[in-house]
Amino acid sequence: MENHAVLVDLSKCIGCRGCQVACKQWQDLPGLKTQNTGSYQNPPRRNAKTYMLIEFHELEKANQVQWVFAKRQCMHCNEPACASACTVGALIKREDGPVVYDTEKCIGCRYCMYACPFGVPMFEWDKEFSLVSKCNFCVDRLDSGEQPSCTKTCPPGALKYGTREAMLDVAYNRIYTNPGKYIKHVYGEREVGGTSWLYISSVPFEDLGFPKLPERSDVELSHTVMHLTPTIAGGMALALSGLYWVINRRRQAEKLAAESTKESHDAK
Amino acid sequence: MLSKIWKEAFRQPLWFYPFVALAIFGTGVGLYRLVVGLGPTTNLNDGYPWGIWIGFDLFMVAFSGGAFTLATIVYIFQIEELHKAMRLTVLTGLLGYLSVLAILAFDLGRWDRAYHFVIYPNINSALFEVSWCIAIYSTILITEFSPVLFHKLGWDRALAFVKRITIPLVIAGASLSTLHQSSLGSMFLVMSHRLHPLWYSPFVSLLFFVSAIAAGMATIVCATTLSFVTFKRSLDQRIIAELSSYLPWALGFYWVLRLGELLGAGEFALIWSSGNYSLLFLGEVVLFGVAPMVLFSMRSIRMNRWASFLSGQVVLFGVLLNRFNTTWLGFLPVEGYQYTPSWMEVAIQAGVLAATVVVYSLAAHYLPLFEDEHHQAQPVMAKS
Repeated sequence: MENHAVLVDLSKCIGCRGCQVACKQWQDLPGLKTQNTGSYQNPPRRNAKTYMLIEFHELEKANQVQWVFAKRQCMHCNEPACASACTVGALIKREDGPVVYDTEKCIGCRYCMYACPFGVPMFEWDKEFSLVSKCNFCVDRLDSGEQPSCTKTCPPGALKYGTREAMLDVAYNRIYTNPGKYIKHVYGEREVGGTSWLYISSVPFEDLGFPKLPERSDVELSHTVMHLTPTIAGGMALALSGLYWVINRRRQAEKLAAESTKESHDAK
Repeated sequence: MLSKIWKEAFRQPLWFYPFVALAIFGTGVGLYRLVVGLGPTTNLNDGYPWGIWIGFDLFMVAFSGGAFTLATIVYIFQIEELHKAMRLTVLTGLLGYLSVLAILAFDLGRWDRAYHFVIYPNINSALFEVSWCIAIYSTILITEFSPVLFHKLGWDRALAFVKRITIPLVIAGASLSTLHQSSLGSMFLVMSHRLHPLWYSPFVSLLFFVSAIAAGMATIVCATTLSFVTFKRSLDQRIIAELSSYLPWALGFYWVLRLGELLGAGEFALIWSSGNYSLLFLGEVVLFGVAPMVLFSMRSIRMNRWASFLSGQVVLFGVLLNRFNTTWLGFLPVEGYQYTPSWMEVAIQAGVLAATVVVYSLAAHYLPLFEDEHHQAQPVMAKS
């Protein structure tokens, strides 16, 4: 099946957080007690019970304060480092886009949390037996022909779901038909090998805390090395066996030689 | 039997009892952690999901590298003078790995699912490979150590069997060690976004492997000295001096690789321009590089028990700093998150280490770790 994606047009987001509520409802996640932190951003950070968060950024533009809202969640990478890292293969990239997570396999080692370049997986610190958690692209909805709950909800149409190719077309179409409105960068098109969530914005992504990442995913290097290691270990075993054989033979020859000289000496 | 154990329990050296107390206390805190979870007991958080436990685990694996290093030197290169250090080093390695497994059990969110790495393999994962290797290698270490027990129990046939498979065991052990020592480094290959460039390297696997060999040698030096001091039983210092003369070479090779990579990547200037990271890096240069390389190059130091013990400690502190830097201190900050270990994390870690010392001390006391002592009594165990 074709790789799907969500296009997020940050210039259209009005910060209503309808998507955040829809996410909580569909995923059946509990609400958290509101903390006052001097911002409407609530909760202050994503956590195990909040798969996605609308971030409220106050930026200065032409001496005026500008509010920019950024929806943040799992980017559903094309080459997910979390899936590569996961000890038990609980994280898997599906052909149609989502990076899904099997709660029955996870052992809670938290390697994925460091592997993820976007810092997405979060841990259930408050449970006795805890696992990581993250956005699953509403795969249960996708499988029944629906779109994710957040894109379905979005009132201003800032979220759009479709094939990744089509979403890239829409993104570039908007950038080029509205000169000056957007910065010329589709975030997620090339970052770490491409992601299934794509962003366009009227302000630079660095100002919104999006990490600046290389086009090459670390996964490539890691896989090259990982697939090489067994060969090296096998080589090591062969080399050591060979060495042992050679050294042993030489020592035995020396021993024999020593004995025979001793014998001939005795015979005299 | 019980009364005999009870009697022996009071005949240990004085320093032994604080360690027992610490081990019991740490185990208690550890059980509490298993019951209530990681949140209430640790300071780990979503920005720093790994803490001192993982740092210590990585250190302990390197520390235990002495076992495969020495086994290779003794059985493959057949440098027999070092054979006498084998049992002690294998025991050190075995206890090191067991402490790693104990801490991992406390660290896993679902420790009850620890066996999942066997039934749900992910061959792309460095951590998967590490888990398998450590599991198999621990078994090998137990087998390598078993002759000591078989001898004590007088099981001659089992003894003869293990003796016959020694060479294949050593080769398998060294190969598995090559795998997991380097794969522990490979774990960080996917962390270029988080690990400071002074520690992120495409050659991090090789660096981990080489540093484990160096750390392993230092372990052998320190372990033999300790057993001399506490139990008046140890190896001839000339044997230790012979071994430690290789240390500067291993360390030198390590730094050529590491500095060479920084130079090649055009990141050499980061060594002095990275603020606190620079200090941490230079700490490694001194503790894991310059200082021990100079010290172990001097024959007078190598031949002196205390001097070589302290120099070995310097190496171990150096590798400890390196593993802490790679798993914690060398990470780039994430907004809103900070980590310093909680007292319970420290207590559990200290408890596991104390338990290791307790078992080690008991083994050194009651088991024939030095072959000289029963050379005549046990012809089967004569030099291979």
